[in-house]
Amino acid sequence: MRSWIATHPVVAFLVVFAIFPYLVPYKALATQVLIYGLFALGFNLLYGYTGLLSFGHAAYWGLGAYGTGIALAKLKVGSLWLGLAAGLGLAAAGGAVIGFFCLRRRGIYFAMLTLAFAQLLYFVGFHLADWTGGDDGLRGITLPPLALPGVTIPLDTSLAFYYFALALVATAVAALKRILDSPFGAVLQAIRENSERASACGYDTSRVKLLSFVFSALFAGLAGSLDALRLNVVPIESLYWTTSGQVVIMTLLGGAGTFFGPFVGAATFLVLEDRLAVFTESWPLVVGAIFMAFVLFLPKGIWGTLLARLGP
Amino acid sequence: MNRRAFLATTAAGAAVAAFPAILKAQGGDTIKVGFPGPTTGPFGALAKDQQQGASVAMEEINAKGGILGRRLEILFRDDQLKPAVGAQRTKELIENERCEFIVGGLAAHVQMAINEQTKKAGKLFISVSQSDEITARPDWGPLTFHEALNPTITSRAVGNWLAQNLGKKWWILYADYAWGKQNNAVLTEVLKRQGGVLLGSTPYPLGNPEFSAHLPKILAAKPEVLVTMTPGADNIAFLKQAISFGMKKEMKIAQPLHWLPQLKEGGPDLYADIYAGINFSWQLEDAIPEAKNYVALYRKKHNEPPGDYSAYAYSAIHEVARGITLAKVVNSDAVASALIANPVYNHYKGKQWWRACDHKAFQDLWIVKGRERSKMKGEWDFVDIVQKVAASEELDRSCKEKGFV
Repeated sequence: MRSWIATHPVVAFLVVFAIFPYLVPYKALATQVLIYGLFALGFNLLYGYTGLLSFGHAAYWGLGAYGTGIALAKLKVGSLWLGLAAGLGLAAAGGAVIGFFCLRRRGIYFAMLTLAFAQLLYFVGFHLADWTGGDDGLRGITLPPLALPGVTIPLDTSLAFYYFALALVATAVAALKRILDSPFGAVLQAIRENSERASACGYDTSRVKLLSFVFSALFAGLAGSLDALRLNVVPIESLYWTTSGQVVIMTLLGGAGTFFGPFVGAATFLVLEDRLAVFTESWPLVVGAIFMAFVLFLPKGIWGTLLARLGP
Repeated sequence: MNRRAFLATTAAGAAVAAFPAILKAQGGDTIKVGFPGPTTGPFGALAKDQQQGASVAMEEINAKGGILGRRLEILFRDDQLKPAVGAQRTKELIENERCEFIVGGLAAHVQMAINEQTKKAGKLFISVSQSDEITARPDWGPLTFHEALNPTITSRAVGNWLAQNLGKKWWILYADYAWGKQNNAVLTEVLKRQGGVLLGSTPYPLGNPEFSAHLPKILAAKPEVLVTMTPGADNIAFLKQAISFGMKKEMKIAQPLHWLPQLKEGGPDLYADIYAGINFSWQLEDAIPEAKNYVALYRKKHNEPPGDYSAYAYSAIHEVARGITLAKVVNSDAVASALIANPVYNHYKGKQWWRACDHKAFQDLWIVKGRERSKMKGEWDFVDIVQKVAASEELDRSCKEKGFV
């Protein structure tokens, strides 16, 4: 079973998430898990597989969200695909520029630079109110119907939107699987284990790191873009450091460096938040305690621990 | 109880606790209203006051037999003052709890995120806090209603009164974000129309209440009135600094709004002689029968007088009930049409009405002035009611200005 999942992760992913909306209390929660899972997946490519800790992933999530939001609400492009492309393009461009500068430093300096760039974008977003809506957030994002060759599907029910998001997220999961299985993916993990050794083997580590950074930003950007379509608004908090913090927590909770860990972490975090918040305002206390317990006692996270227990 | 039965009961209990959806079948007879508000975070006190006002309305309605023979139930949710959380909680209330109506929101950016969800789901939303955009295109939707005052109405009413009664030489100090900027723009326009002089206008970063660099400049300019938009904790920090610079003696100080929870926090030593507008103050119980009823019910349940924002929530819940009773059906479209066809209502402070084009509630407001400690009767008697400003559509932007043809 375990080896089957390991060799067919995309099929396993599709099977679980095809029935997922019926396992949680309501459909919009399932969509939220899917989107934040993708966000964490992108973060995990950089942190779990390349060993680069970014504290500024809000930047790419936010760029994806604003790119799509501005295209649909302000530029009135009217096409779902163009809206998504705008978000992805902006996130990838942001990832390339920010990655180019941040990757010149390592460790804490790298982390702080990513944080600084994200906060910079936050202030730009705050003050460019004509385009971003400033602190009121960007509203008026209409969700165009899904136009495929020969057929147009409206996405205005929660379930329709969920399966649309699932199709895109599954594509992203397949793409990540392909990246990790390629020689490029092996170099990423070589860099994580020993960057000097990887470059001694003749790999251009800075170029590989930058590519990994851009891929990671693309995944995060797609997630942000889908979130803008899901909520029809882009809050300014999308770019704020708390968003970056949330994705770190989800990834560590699920298991950094494991393929499905980020989805498990996102699902655990969001379902707990959703259910606990109905009963108590102190839900962060519970989620925080669980997070700390995992970091202290089971640092491989929920999925990582499960994989280790099941054995090879 | 044997072990097996114990396990079964515990498991069933846990399942019920985890998924209130299971209980849904039993609660099918109630009419559910979802109520998101920031009970955690800097506006927590105001949000709790709103929840308490809404609960008073709910109990009052249920004590009289409910609506169409069904009980009213309000489901409160914490939106953490974050638009994304407000949006998600609204989805949960509509999809999971099957709420047909949403009332709530306590900040412009959160209520507009809630509004996007209710628009998409086709549910009635009555917003109960200030926002200019919510009743203007493109944010407004056919099921969007706005019970609270907005920055335009408040600042026009307060600004007119200040210029006519306290002086026409002003200085404006405002927090540099949406609400501060909107009020600054409206006040500047009001002063110009009143033939006054704006000696200066100072923005400062929200949440960074360090005014000592600005205050000497303002003192030297000798304005008759200093109008300030310093929300939340900034307000208290500002007043402390202004008093230490002796500004209360040199000029009149005013702000668009007083909030009861904030008056309580700052106390009369800070708020004495500070002028502001207010949508409701419990002292109105002496003059208005509906106010007397509301204040008495609220006091009975919560052992303190209601704040100004609780009254919006109280009124909005009653409007949902009135709409359902008129429409004779629990359906957002029908209730919205019924309210617009019968726009006049009066739940707590006199006649109010919905304007047909934008579903804005028009209502009286009052100019109040902070009381000195020695003149307070009881621990909640923070303000003198100076004058009523009668409800008028002239105080808001016109339908055309809001994008309605």
